[in-house]
Amino acid sequence: MKTAAANKKIRSRRTLSKNDRFTLAAFIGIPTLMQIIFLWLPALITIVLSFTYWNGINVGDIKWAGIANYKNIFFGTPVFYEALKNNAIWLLWFTFIATPLGILLAYQIDRKIKGHKLYETVFYIPVVLSLAIIGIIWNFMFQPGGFIQGIMGRDIGNAISIWGNYDINTYVIMGVASWRHIGYIMLLYLAGLKSVDSSLREASAIDGATEWQTFRKIVLPAMRPVNIIIVVITIIESLRAFDLVYIIYGTSTAWPLLNILVFQNFAGQGISMKGAAYAVILLVLCVGPILLYLRAVFKEDLK
Amino acid sequence: MSDTEKGISRRSVLKGAAVGGIGLAAGGSLLAGCAKSKVTGDINFTIRGNLSDAGSKIAIAVNDAYTAKSGNKVISQAVNSDDFQNNFVQIMQGTPDDAFGWMAGWRTNARADAGLLADLSDQVAALGSSLSAAAVQGATNPTDGKQYIIPTTYYPWGLHYRKSTMTELGLNPESIATWDDLIKLCEATQKKGLVGYALGDKGGWEAMGTFDILNMRLNGYQFHIDLLNGKEQWTDPKVVEVFNYMGQLIPFMNKNVLDISWDGMRDLLLQKKCGAMMMGSWFANDFLAKSQEDYDDLWIVPFPEINPEHGVDSIDAPLDGIAVAANGKNVEGGKELAEFWGSKEGIDAAVAAGDTNIYISSEFDSSSYDAFNNQKLAVLGAAKNIGFFLDRDTRGDFAGPVVGPAIQSFLKNPKDLTKILDNTQAQWDALPAL
Repeated sequence: MKTAAANKKIRSRRTLSKNDRFTLAAFIGIPTLMQIIFLWLPALITIVLSFTYWNGINVGDIKWAGIANYKNIFFGTPVFYEALKNNAIWLLWFTFIATPLGILLAYQIDRKIKGHKLYETVFYIPVVLSLAIIGIIWNFMFQPGGFIQGIMGRDIGNAISIWGNYDINTYVIMGVASWRHIGYIMLLYLAGLKSVDSSLREASAIDGATEWQTFRKIVLPAMRPVNIIIVVITIIESLRAFDLVYIIYGTSTAWPLLNILVFQNFAGQGISMKGAAYAVILLVLCVGPILLYLRAVFKEDLK
Repeated sequence: MSDTEKGISRRSVLKGAAVGGIGLAAGGSLLAGCAKSKVTGDINFTIRGNLSDAGSKIAIAVNDAYTAKSGNKVISQAVNSDDFQNNFVQIMQGTPDDAFGWMAGWRTNARADAGLLADLSDQVAALGSSLSAAAVQGATNPTDGKQYIIPTTYYPWGLHYRKSTMTELGLNPESIATWDDLIKLCEATQKKGLVGYALGDKGGWEAMGTFDILNMRLNGYQFHIDLLNGKEQWTDPKVVEVFNYMGQLIPFMNKNVLDISWDGMRDLLLQKKCGAMMMGSWFANDFLAKSQEDYDDLWIVPFPEINPEHGVDSIDAPLDGIAVAANGKNVEGGKELAEFWGSKEGIDAAVAAGDTNIYISSEFDSSSYDAFNNQKLAVLGAAKNIGFFLDRDTRGDFAGPVVGPAIQSFLKNPKDLTKILDNTQAQWDALPAL
């Protein structure tokens, strides 16, 4: 038994030549090292710094703060809860409106409905733009003196308040963010749908299944890997949202998001480790659900 | 929260500088005798702004004049002003340019305390009496009594308006003396279909100008500065009163205050859509860029008196200048260049390149000022106490992240005032000691 195992070990080791091993070490080692240096180390330092007072200049000035920064955020900073609310709205909107719409579009285009090529192109175009560019475009459209205001004959003095109108600005921002997200999801899903064997669908049609039944019972399960990617992307996109809002509102927290608070407290003249604490809160929020989801998924796969 | 002494004691009077320009042109001998350069090597200079801006062209002209005088090459590079300010600490800790245009007050003093800026006391001393005692005091770091910035220019915050608009409406803002007069002016402008009191606060800082002046008018300069440095409480009824006055202005404001920034305010005035607005005079350069006619139409008056006890004795007049990075490659060169900016030759070069700013230095011949600049001087001269603007008069981790959103919340929903002020005070109390 023992020798067999030892033999196996030797054999498997022999299958890798010196060259192979070097290549493997380089391919695994270098990214791992970079990951540790550029990602894990700063993350750990941020976590440690979130328990300190520091203005970001002289290392000698770092003072232990205990949980003061967190206490300040949770009990003394109402804007934190506004940001949390906005991030939650973002997540819910993407989950229940934007992502399903993207999937619906992909499904219809895959069915080659009339004019599907046109729809595909139209919805795909925003995807090539970064959210920052999208922010610039729509800010130019809606801001006082902007294009849409101009079309409506409104000058700066009597321009309709959009970004500063708290009854509607959340929906406008969601709409603008969805403009890209829908196309993005559509694209991913379309790629997945192309790989689903069409005979599966034909078979279900012959068996008398409705469109909805086919989609739910046949297509959706067959699309499992893509579904995971889409869920993860939707969560991450919602939590890391920053650039669009930053372009519109700058660092003023007129429409706060967690990332804006991180940035506001790290950059500018007001550097404080409250920013680090915000970053840690965001990290926990990001890592938590994704780890849970991935674990659940992999557990099922192992079964 | 410990009381910080920053920014309290040093600033009282810059007025001397304002009136000092007159009749002192003859005293320009101090620097005329300056010997050839003592330093060598290229000097790097950061311009805050776009290379196409008028300000950048002026900066390059001054740097060229320095090169012609000293033989040292100056390499000027333009950077986005907001980026430079936001990343200032990081830039200064890396490999910064030797000298750059900067702002006096908290932004200089706190960074000097952290060892990021070079001591310019010798250069300020060399400029001697051309800088008024008040200007030097304004540039002095209270922590160690040294100067880390060569003060060069400044501008007043006041009520700006177009003379033509007011004439058409049959109004004369120069005659407004009291709060009631201001309200009447706003009412009259609004009745004619214009915005009575233009304000944009999308950036979160623009309305600080209105807050500053209301607080200084109602409660006096000392209370204002003490409030910003934690010696008075935001929950004080006096502060509530300030916001109540701001609330009285809200009906006269444009309905999209949180949609526009300072440039929106500027455009409102440029397009003759509003009556008066509270703003710093620096935007006048954009009027001049549009047309001489627009520039000539622009006027400024002091914010009217509210509380007779304080009259119109205070004003926000941010002081700008040149600072030198402690970690630059050519610190001595940077210092010499900074001094040149404050000298007669430097100012002459700037003015020749079209600078309309008000210079601190008495070396500057103010007889060349146009009407608007003379009016700016008059507005400055009316004040005894000079503030630097809220975001230079208080801690950086308080102004932007706390006061800015607080004022925005108030403009959004004035009924929340008590909650807003309670929270502002709570956030000040939670700040770590510096």
